[in-house]
Amino acid sequence: MVLSVRDLHIRDQVTGQEIVHGISFELTPGKVVGIVGESGSGKTLTCRAALGILPDQLEVCAGSITLAGHDIAELSVKQWTGLRGSTISAVFQDPSSYLNPSIQVGPQIAEVIRVKKKVRRREARNQVLQLLRSVQLRHPESVYSQYTYELSGGMLQRVLIAAAIAADPEVLIADEATTALDVIVQAEILDLLAELRERTGLALVVVAHDLAVVAQLCDEVLVMRQGDVVEQGTTQDVLYRPQHEYTQLLIAEHEQYGLDRFLNAPELEQA
Amino acid sequence: MIRRVLSLPAGRIAVGILSVIALLAIFGSALAPQNPFATTSAQLGHISGSHWLGTDYLGRDTLSRLLAGSRASIVGAIEVALIALFVGAIPGILSVYLGRAFEWVTLRLIDTLISLPFLLVAVAVTALLGNGMTVALLVVGVLLGPGFYRVSRAAALSVARSQYVEAAQISGASLSWIVRRHVWSKVLPPISISLANTVGAGFVVVSSLSFLGIGVQPPAPTWGGMLSSDLNYLSYQPWAPVAPAVLIILTVWACNLLADAIRDVSGDAGRAYVNARARRPALLQGGA
Amino acid sequence: MNARAVLEVEDLEVHYGLGRRRRRVLDGVSLTVSGGEAIGLIGETGSGKTTLARAVLGLVPFSRGRVVIDGQDVSKARARQWRDLRRAGVVQYVFQDSLRSLDPDLAVGKSLVEPLLIQGMPRAEADARARAFLDRVHLDADLLGRLPGALSGGQRQRVAVARALVTEPKLIILDEPVSALDSANRVLVLEILKGLRESGIALVFISHDLGSVAGLTDRIAVLYQGELVEVGPTRSIINAPQHVYTRLLIDSAPTLRSAAAKRSERESLRALLHA
Repeated sequence: MVLSVRDLHIRDQVTGQEIVHGISFELTPGKVVGIVGESGSGKTLTCRAALGILPDQLEVCAGSITLAGHDIAELSVKQWTGLRGSTISAVFQDPSSYLNPSIQVGPQIAEVIRVKKKVRRREARNQVLQLLRSVQLRHPESVYSQYTYELSGGMLQRVLIAAAIAADPEVLIADEATTALDVIVQAEILDLLAELRERTGLALVVVAHDLAVVAQLCDEVLVMRQGDVVEQGTTQDVLYRPQHEYTQLLIAEHEQYGLDRFLNAPELEQA
Repeated sequence: MIRRVLSLPAGRIAVGILSVIALLAIFGSALAPQNPFATTSAQLGHISGSHWLGTDYLGRDTLSRLLAGSRASIVGAIEVALIALFVGAIPGILSVYLGRAFEWVTLRLIDTLISLPFLLVAVAVTALLGNGMTVALLVVGVLLGPGFYRVSRAAALSVARSQYVEAAQISGASLSWIVRRHVWSKVLPPISISLANTVGAGFVVVSSLSFLGIGVQPPAPTWGGMLSSDLNYLSYQPWAPVAPAVLIILTVWACNLLADAIRDVSGDAGRAYVNARARRPALLQGGA
Repeated sequence: MNARAVLEVEDLEVHYGLGRRRRRVLDGVSLTVSGGEAIGLIGETGSGKTTLARAVLGLVPFSRGRVVIDGQDVSKARARQWRDLRRAGVVQYVFQDSLRSLDPDLAVGKSLVEPLLIQGMPRAEADARARAFLDRVHLDADLLGRLPGALSGGQRQRVAVARALVTEPKLIILDEPVSALDSANRVLVLEILKGLRESGIALVFISHDLGSVAGLTDRIAVLYQGELVEVGPTRSIINAPQHVYTRLLIDSAPTLRSAAAKRSERESLRALLHA
């Protein structure tokens, strides 16, 4: 078990209001959990809690998160720094805001490697090139020495994924990682994540507001609405036997204004 | 917009003070109880029934001099502001519409002007060209122009490239329609704020120049000049500089207060303000 | 359904930039739209979809080609002709971001009647006329006094759609009208657009979201790097795309049930496209 979230409740210390009312899921190596919800549903806060980066005014008021055997409530700052990157890592929505625009992107990843794996400069550069190749960037050497403004959204997101997996984490959280990307690029990134999971046993938490994005990649799906988990189950169960009306609404919307009803593609086998 | 400004307490205070100052400028001389030039033998006299603020080193009534001197300072400040407005705002707005070359030239000119310290330059120019307040005011006005340029250019830019202007164009709006309906309301507030601030700055400049003895034809009274001479006789009348100093400070403060009040009712802050008022049912009509 | 063409675009070419930086953003694009028809324009960022819309609206000059709106050739039109055409209210446009396309300092009611006022209609008549359209977009009249910032995204977008309706246009071009909306509002607006189509208005629906395009349009045109690579009935384009790019686009679109299975197909299409 790499990540275990048990009945997590998150509260605003200032107003006293509870924002997340209990969410639970477990990640084992190679497993992908998807969280679907609209803004304000609490999905991003859950991720931040798992990364130990909740905003100051919010706190975990009930439940627990266990990461690689450690209860995160008991982790010191130093321990967290050790865990981030090498055990748990993340990519977010706007890739360019997570990179320094005045430094080439390659050295920024190299720095992560040097710090986390304690290798020398040359070795770090080689590892970066290898990483860039593994995220399917076709010309790693030239990407290495480019700046953020020279790279497209899709390429930047790949660079960030490369940085995120540089220290071989066990869990990668992708919080709306494909929301701002074009359709074809979004599929590329999702396929990349699927490939990483197959190749390295990486466990993923994929957060999106589109049920279809989540359905593409995930084994288990949680549907969140205003802090509550209204539906949870395997992808098959949620898609074919939705219990909650909100889930049914999301599915109906896809069927009304989605490609599904037009595609004559064979349906996936029902479990 | 004026209505909105007056609805804020800060706005009312600022407008109130400035109205009094403006009245002083217009009627100052007439209100003076004594002849501001009349010297008496009661030099450096104390506050008394006939001299409410005492007399200066030549026995002239301080209060009368203050009242009479108000016009020069205030008119000077307004002149400076208006010169800055024309020198800055017009090229600023035009730079958005007249093409790259014009834009480039004006930007470079503005960069040059900004780099000059206006008070020193004013002093230097009057030293070169003679002791005239007019010249000094002109110079300072020009040097304060860049502030207006930047502000009006920024406002015009944000409107010119906006989608709501395009939406109006798609519906067939003429340029004058767009200016009247959309551009004006975006450009007027920032320029008004700049104007209020610049009047305050101009006031400081005029007072400083007259303090330094520039542009003054003695024995004409000015607040800055009075402050300067009061400081010479501080040991005799330690309380004397208070009056002109307070007037100067009060005026500048009121100008800045007005600028802040305008800022609070325009732009983003202004929209929040309008939304808050719109929630009261009696005031459902939004918009400027 | 009126079968006469409301919009005809023939061999359109648009360039951006000067001198050495000059590049072609639209190349030989031809398209026809009839009354009561909704055509979807799909393609990724940089494909030229928005440029095409702006060229048709006269906001961007084109270097070659013909554009005919409701029988009137506007290819060589100058400012005055454009102004007259626009004031006739034949074509309207809905922007992607309603927050930016409504004047933030004007009450939405005032923005709503603007097209009518520009036409010269007296204020009272314009107000009455505009209110008739509020129903079609399910908006309450008491929202009209608010500033755009005080409305929700869905409400704002509906105001933008209503504004596009007040002159009773024959053609409405919509640029990503539902991209910024949440599920419920998205469906609501798409339903409204469907109703418009049924009432005989021609719609050009620009979107990268194939789902909404699939649900709303009769035909789809695919733009790739400034060229129209495929045009056809919606059903055919989605079920039997011909061009590599279209196939990759359809395969990449998130679907509830079939996306995962198509991974290898996507990989081979990508390889083909980049070759």
